[in-house]
Amino acid sequence: MSYVEELESQLDQNFIAIRYNVEMEGPAIKPESDPDVQNILPKEEPYKSIATGVLYGDMEATLNGVKEGLEEDLSPIDIINNGLMKGMDAVSALYTKGFYFLPDLMLSGDSMMEGVKECEKVLGHKSETKATTVSFVAEGDPHDIGKNLVVMFLRANGYDAIDLGRDVPTEEVINAVEEYKPIFVTGTALMTTTMTVFPKVVEELEKKGLKVPALGCGGGSVRKDFVESFPMSVYGVEAYHTPKLADSILKDKKTWKELRKEYSEIVGEFVPEYA
Amino acid sequence: MKRFTRMVYKNPEEIVFGRAKFPVSQRWNIQFGAGYVVPEVKVAPQEGSEASKEKMTGECRNIAQSACERAVSIGLPTFMLEQEHVFQQTNNPEWAAECTQIQAEVLESYHDEYDIKVSLRQTPADIRLEERSPGLRGSDYDNKVEESLEACAANGASDICIESMGGKSVSDYGISRGDIKATLFGIGVLGSIDMEYVWDRIVNICKKYDCRPGGDTDCAQANTAMFMAGGLLDKDIAHTTAALARAMGAARSLVAVECGAIGPLKDCGYENPIVKAISGVPIATEGKNAVCAHSDLMGNLIAGVTDVWSNESVYHRQEMGGTTPEVWLQATGFEAALMNTALQTETAETLRDIYTLTDKYRDPQALILAYDNAYRIGEAIINYGKDPYLRSRAAALEAGKIINEASEAGKLYLTRFERDSLDSALKVLEELPMDADQFTDECLRIYTRKVAEFDPKSYEL
Repeated sequence: MSYVEELESQLDQNFIAIRYNVEMEGPAIKPESDPDVQNILPKEEPYKSIATGVLYGDMEATLNGVKEGLEEDLSPIDIINNGLMKGMDAVSALYTKGFYFLPDLMLSGDSMMEGVKECEKVLGHKSETKATTVSFVAEGDPHDIGKNLVVMFLRANGYDAIDLGRDVPTEEVINAVEEYKPIFVTGTALMTTTMTVFPKVVEELEKKGLKVPALGCGGGSVRKDFVESFPMSVYGVEAYHTPKLADSILKDKKTWKELRKEYSEIVGEFVPEYA
Repeated sequence: MKRFTRMVYKNPEEIVFGRAKFPVSQRWNIQFGAGYVVPEVKVAPQEGSEASKEKMTGECRNIAQSACERAVSIGLPTFMLEQEHVFQQTNNPEWAAECTQIQAEVLESYHDEYDIKVSLRQTPADIRLEERSPGLRGSDYDNKVEESLEACAANGASDICIESMGGKSVSDYGISRGDIKATLFGIGVLGSIDMEYVWDRIVNICKKYDCRPGGDTDCAQANTAMFMAGGLLDKDIAHTTAALARAMGAARSLVAVECGAIGPLKDCGYENPIVKAISGVPIATEGKNAVCAHSDLMGNLIAGVTDVWSNESVYHRQEMGGTTPEVWLQATGFEAALMNTALQTETAETLRDIYTLTDKYRDPQALILAYDNAYRIGEAIINYGKDPYLRSRAAALEAGKIINEASEAGKLYLTRFERDSLDSALKVLEELPMDADQFTDECLRIYTRKVAEFDPKSYEL
């Protein structure tokens, strides 16, 4: 036994590090066996197969189900609402419970979006969405993974999420607000000196007399105290909180002031930054 | 270009903090890897300082002065100040020049007065955008990066570094979807290609000045994976997948050294212990004294073979104990003092092993960076040293093997998500072709379609 192995053999890991994720893990069950998922998933075919395809992030199965439904002359809108979106609702339920993880969400989101595209081909126009949102990365900032997640979460939850990309000039954001009239705008930044774009966006919106219910600001170095130093804004902590904030604006007509006050309740979990 | 096909260290026990096979000397009488550990402090300019060149240079001067004051008031024999540039500094090379110059003047004045050994590291931002024509090569942003690097070298930087972003569009896609093939292509192939482009240029710039080519980190890719993997209870990506991305990142970050970077390699490269094991160059790392910037699961372990101990980054503001340049230099300074005491008393190996054992089984990401395992991954890399694709693949496979061994021995427990993600990633990796061209062709077919920002022309593919 080497010296290091001897040292290692003296250790009781319980005094050093405990993998709580392993300790807390429940029994393995199939995703469709979860009681919440059972309540969400449709019982009728082909909606059930389509939703299950989305649930498993299986694009081929999802598309086969969608095509089958379209061949049977089912309404593309019904396929979206009763099949694809139900699958995504089930995915969201499992993610919230900690049974599903980001790759599951991304693959399911990709499957759902491809299914929606098939339906839109038959519809001949874009399908109806809950509402429009606009997302951008601050000018001068090339870090966009957070924004990409935000866009994916919004789309997966039925929003028409307009993606302006990264390093976006303020003027382009203003033009997009003018054009799309979004219910929610999200901006992300990684650097302290690029997050200063956010108050400039608000200033320009105000100058033009444009109003959005809220500008969600988040990203690596973005701080809540900074975001709350100017109006119209709310500090976003996790990308997956975004659709819940958008829903509360859409359904409950929450204002940016209310989003700040009720953030934890709206996203449904303890958020240390808002404690 | 010389590729590493042999390990510089003969065995892992040889590797310890504060000593490197190829120490680096810089002006102001400082050495790295020469028998002592250098503490580092890095502070991000506060919001508003980007409004004008005068504000930014004033901000940089204040950061440097605060760090120097605390260094002498707590008796630090040595320290490194690093300034990671914000967009405005890189996009305006004259800002980069003046900020560097003013920090160099501050450091030199303290060196002259106290004889303190100091180093000034400047790291321009990689502001290139792949999706905006002409992409990573030859764009205005690309030219600004080059001009800023040269401005730093010409105006008093002891060394220059960068955190290059090549391959990020594809690796982001792969990391967020658990697509290990995309992750490997983004880090191992595209990242390595872009590193050659970036680092040939940096090394040539440094030849013209009294400035060293430091190193690069896989911040844009492997750190993205680590950041997204988060803590034990986070729900984003599997910690086993993040560990494989880190191993690939070592094969990619090694390219800087192959192009002529001499170290200390840049701090947020958690892959640096692997690169040190292969190449013998000194490294900077960060861990428990970088909690101001982000959380990791290897806060002690990553100090095991370091040569420069960093705080990563912190807002420039006031804490109860002083301003952040003062407070965080004190934190890294005292940790370096502990390591230097161990070196002086010939107990460095014991401290290294204690650092290592505190975190080795906390997480798979920590396990693969323990110096003995880092050495094994290094060996896997040099076995395919001449082929950036195959060596990245080999690094990931070896990391997977290390995790499986620890799991089978009952030393490291994995969740089902971690286990399933690892099994499926290893299966994909094992079945990949042994020919780089074939792999690249396959990936070009898939990812040019799936990743909108990916532009093969940026990599001359």
